[in-house]
Amino acid sequence: MYEIRFHGRGGQGAVMAAQTIAEAAILEGKQAQAFPFFGAERRGAPVMAFARIDDKRICDRTQVSEPDMLVVMDESLLEIEPVASGLKEGGCAVINSRLEPSEVDLGTVTRCVSVDATSIALEMLRAPIVNTSILGAMARANDFVSLGSIQQAIMNRFGEKLGEKAGRLNAEAAKAAFERSREGLCKGERKVQKKNAWLPTWQETPPGVALPRTSKAGMAVGPGSMTQNLTGSWGVSFPVYDEERCIKCQRCWFICPEGCIRRSPNDDLEFDLRYCKGCGLCAKVCPKDAISMRRKEASA
Amino acid sequence: MDRRMNIRTMPQEDHLLSGQGACAGCGVAIAVKNIMRILGENTTVYVPASCLLVFGGGMYPHSAFDVPFFYSAFENTGAVISGIKAGYRRQGKDVTVIGIAGDGGTFDIGLQALSGAAERNEDVIYVCVDNEAYMNTGTQRSGSTPFGAWTTTTPVGKKIKGKQGFKKDLMSVVANQDIAYAATLSIAHMNDFVQKVEKAKNLKGFRFLHVMTPCASGWKSDPSATYDLANMAVETGMWSLYEILDGEVRITYRPKEMRPVTEYLKLQGRFKHMSKEDVDTLQSWICRKWNKRYCPTAPPLEGKGEDLAYGGDECEGV
Repeated sequence: MYEIRFHGRGGQGAVMAAQTIAEAAILEGKQAQAFPFFGAERRGAPVMAFARIDDKRICDRTQVSEPDMLVVMDESLLEIEPVASGLKEGGCAVINSRLEPSEVDLGTVTRCVSVDATSIALEMLRAPIVNTSILGAMARANDFVSLGSIQQAIMNRFGEKLGEKAGRLNAEAAKAAFERSREGLCKGERKVQKKNAWLPTWQETPPGVALPRTSKAGMAVGPGSMTQNLTGSWGVSFPVYDEERCIKCQRCWFICPEGCIRRSPNDDLEFDLRYCKGCGLCAKVCPKDAISMRRKEASA
Repeated sequence: MDRRMNIRTMPQEDHLLSGQGACAGCGVAIAVKNIMRILGENTTVYVPASCLLVFGGGMYPHSAFDVPFFYSAFENTGAVISGIKAGYRRQGKDVTVIGIAGDGGTFDIGLQALSGAAERNEDVIYVCVDNEAYMNTGTQRSGSTPFGAWTTTTPVGKKIKGKQGFKKDLMSVVANQDIAYAATLSIAHMNDFVQKVEKAKNLKGFRFLHVMTPCASGWKSDPSATYDLANMAVETGMWSLYEILDGEVRITYRPKEMRPVTEYLKLQGRFKHMSKEDVDTLQSWICRKWNKRYCPTAPPLEGKGEDLAYGGDECEGV
């Protein structure tokens, strides 16, 4: 049995990627399944999807905790999620990155394929939806499914949903990613451990389940405790503020959904990029073009 | 001098804090954040099942509201906020109680509790954040979904394309119950938004605020288009801004010239399948709404009667 785990961000198409690889395996006469991790994810939040491929019938319906292949669709996830956890000995990783595989720090030394899927997607599809490019790189990483079947599966899935032209473009993006991906060994220096969220046991549950503002297991809980959720890594771009042009009309302060534009008593503005999701609304409502959006560079 | 509140003089302290997990460019987050700024910290928030529950308050044990927050079942927003207010009254506390429900929790599922609370004229604020479908569960149609819109339960097929009914006229349902204050708000008309929320805060009795909140995920639009969508909805007449105080309807913003509805539709992916006949149907619904049904007691639009009596073939940009 070959197990794959996808790590992506909501909106990148991790679920579609898992379904497409399963369909490609089925086209080759194998058995396959694909399903996402269900949670309260929003566009931009870290998400997971899983796929299993086997020659015989698959009875396991659980989430993949020990994958043979790891697919990381957004490089910034390496810093906030323990993506490499459970990767099998001799497994491989596919990473969306501009870096060479030897420069990628996955947290465990393993065979790795890196591909700049974001650039390929922006070039060929004009949107940062990287799932089809990543699929091409997966064919490079392991030949359990051929590139031809992956392209056929993309044509079937995306062609049906978005029209034949979009299907063809996505299949071409997969081929480009297959050709432009690089193989190597990645580094294993990083240590990311995710804390388990505190949840009260039934003896600890306060009456009426009311929870005051307090701290449990080193983590703030209760009203206002979501400020520890730094959402700044979600976006692909960030605002650049030109104070000289600003007329302090406060329209951006009103419209920012995150509240990451802070106001001082004399109406000066300060941007708190720890929370910015890069929606670009502040730049949109600015009457003087004092705010512009810039795409984030890949972290080195 | 105009003493009414505007975005420069409104309170600045946040009560829906940063770190909430909404999608980038979320209209609900913009609306609720600013409503909470104006209501201040002496407020208790109730949210039924909705996006706001998931990204704002209900990820127990975490909450993005730094004021007391409560949630219960989907259908009973009106009943629960009445109960919270009664509890505070019994304790001798004067606290603003606000219930923030989505369009599914207001138009469809929560209508009976809303109607009951309005009929009893409970001293609470009810906010409907209207993103025109059940977005939290992945875009299913609601009573608020406009004509022709794609949702997963009104798919685009060969014969039937998108929703076949029109948007429910919730404001007339609520306003006809003689409540203290009812208003429609848009996040693109910022000073108007602030003034209406402040007015609602200072009144007693049942107050109903209906906010249009564009949804980038469900409307298949760009996150940065949220403002343009809210603005264009008002300019094309898909959304109209008015308030009802003591039974008097006052239109707070009248577009100088009605734009063709296509300018609003083309910003979104959920309408991209619409044929010219469907666009015409929607356009004539808008004109009918403005001229007759929507504001029955408002004076007709002065001098604009000809422009609005839409014939069906002059729609530009189709």
